[in-house]
Amino acid sequence: MNNPIIRTEHAAKTYTVGEITTSALKDVSLEILQGSFTCIVGPSGHGKSTLMHLIGGLDRPSSGKIYIGDTEISTIVNSDLARLRGQRIGFVFQFFNLLQGLTARENIEIAMMLAGVAEPEQRERAEKLLALVGLAEKAGSKPGQLSGGQQQRVAIARALANDPDILLLDEPTGNLDSVAEAEILNLLQALHRQGKTVVIVTHSDEVAKRAERIIRVKDGLIAA
Amino acid sequence: MTLTKLVFKNITRRRGRFVFTLLGITIGIASFVTFMSMGGSLKKEIYRETAALGANLVVIPKGSCGYEQLSILTGDQMPTNISAAEVTSIRAIKGVTVVPFLAQQSAINNKPVTVSGIEPAATLDFKRWEISAGRYFQSPDENGVMLGSAAARQFELKPGGSVTIRGEILPILGILGETGGRDDATIFLPLPLAQRLFNAADNVSYAAIRVENLAETERYIEEIRVATGLGVVSDKQMLQSVLSIVGTVNITLQMIAAVAVIAAAFGIVNTMMAATYERKREIGILQALGARRRTIFTLFMLESGFYGLIGGLTGVIFGLATATLATPYISQNAFTTLVKGSGSGSLLDLNIIISSIFFSALVAIIAGLYPAWKAARLTPVEAISYE
Ligand SMILES: Nc1ncnc2c1ncn2[C@@H]1O[C@H](COP(=O)(O)OP(=O)(O)OP(=O)(O)O)[C@@H](O)[C@H]1O
Ligand SMILES: [Mg+2]
Repeated sequence: MNNPIIRTEHAAKTYTVGEITTSALKDVSLEILQGSFTCIVGPSGHGKSTLMHLIGGLDRPSSGKIYIGDTEISTIVNSDLARLRGQRIGFVFQFFNLLQGLTARENIEIAMMLAGVAEPEQRERAEKLLALVGLAEKAGSKPGQLSGGQQQRVAIARALANDPDILLLDEPTGNLDSVAEAEILNLLQALHRQGKTVVIVTHSDEVAKRAERIIRVKDGLIAA
Repeated sequence: MTLTKLVFKNITRRRGRFVFTLLGITIGIASFVTFMSMGGSLKKEIYRETAALGANLVVIPKGSCGYEQLSILTGDQMPTNISAAEVTSIRAIKGVTVVPFLAQQSAINNKPVTVSGIEPAATLDFKRWEISAGRYFQSPDENGVMLGSAAARQFELKPGGSVTIRGEILPILGILGETGGRDDATIFLPLPLAQRLFNAADNVSYAAIRVENLAETERYIEEIRVATGLGVVSDKQMLQSVLSIVGTVNITLQMIAAVAVIAAAFGIVNTMMAATYERKREIGILQALGARRRTIFTLFMLESGFYGLIGGLTGVIFGLATATLATPYISQNAFTTLVKGSGSGSLLDLNIIISSIFFSALVAIIAGLYPAWKAARLTPVEAISYE
């Protein structure tokens, strides 16, 4: 249980837009243990999302290395990276997580479709996951017919679709009131108890309170 | 959920845009199909009319070009400047059967109709017509008309009735049996009567000739030229020059259609570009969920291909409908009279249907390449960060 599932070695990311170069992440080395519940906090614009994108394989570091388990993901080819995202990692973003044209159930099915799961199985599992997040009766609702909190729960259900080890959530409760936030947190704690590694970026003290560990990001670096 | 279902849901999400893009490709393909099938039936008709004419050689006024030859096949009005003396001198050549025609147009109830002056006995012998009602001409200068079967049907005429041509009321003697060619839509008059009504003196428009010995066709041509100084073409030459005129017209029409299809293709490009832009964030989400670039590319290609397929299908339906419905209303001229004569059945060419749908899908796939490439090229972070 105590081996690191996520590891970064001197990870750095610079963005260049036109003439301007931004060092979003300067030098980050960290380890996140399997089955842990970690919060990443820090001021706005200091590199939290950038760090999440790197450890989730959505982006590649400008320098340094990123490991998921034993795999060094900063150098693997695009299609392998895509497969890793689909099968080992579940993402939840702050908003607009769901495909607007599809129902809650279809949104979950999509993740399984991309992993090559057959249709009847997609459907069965999607319904189970919706029940798990307490939205069984909303299977046929489109995102526009769901509240913000419900949408985030669907996004979490979808993140679980391919039974990943790691859940990465970038301000999942950023747009929610405290009641909805508490619901999401309870859900995440339950998933954590089942063995998922949970990493959350948050500005919320309520969220941070529940974490086993807090990583502070400041100015592209890990603050003590 | 399958990729195809996802494509279908995406494509129908913006109903208005879906409909208008589809309309673009439908119109493009419809015009393509219309022109193709019209051109196709035009060709078929030319072959049929040439066969129906039944001549090995045709004598035409000196200096005639392909257009006059086309007029013979379409029943258009023609100049009348081959004299009776010239016809007689052709007849003097051994081994030829000569049948002169006076090709004119008249109108019944304001609708144009082909009028043909003939030598009754010689023409009957040459054409081997059957008589379906009434009787045939009994003398070379009888005062009366014979109707082609389609003309009789179109104007609801019967033997015993009458028609007015050039202000003269003429009794209807009989109706010819169906020939399947232009003769069906023609009104026949004895030559002297036609010459008087159309002020043609003793002239005719052209003469159809059958020769005794086909191997010596070239010799007959030469002899007629020497005897009369008139133009002579074989049926094969006539077919060639008429087909080349029609070919030029066809190419022009097809180019117009091609422009319509290209315009429609840009409609697809436009729609798909808008879709990649609007769905940038969704592309990012799909990538976060494990979609590879290839999957994103396929998703967008399927969408534009779907436009092509559906647009091709509706285009073919509209195109065939237009070709069938519009042809009877196209104004009378040498090119279109041929099409008018043909039944709608000949328009339903399976080759045209299949190749048009294929063409439409191909155009749509080419049109979709750039937008799909743009969509697939997005990195997950670019796509996710987009609001
Ligand atoms: N795609 C990009 N192109 C250019 N600069 C970027 C890009 N993404 C992020 N940045 C810059 O990198 C820095 C870190 O951004 P990041 O999104 O990681 O911050 P954050 O800590 O998540 O902030 P917030 O709490 O507001 O979400 C910022 O200065 C930002 O402007
Ligand atoms: Mg952020």
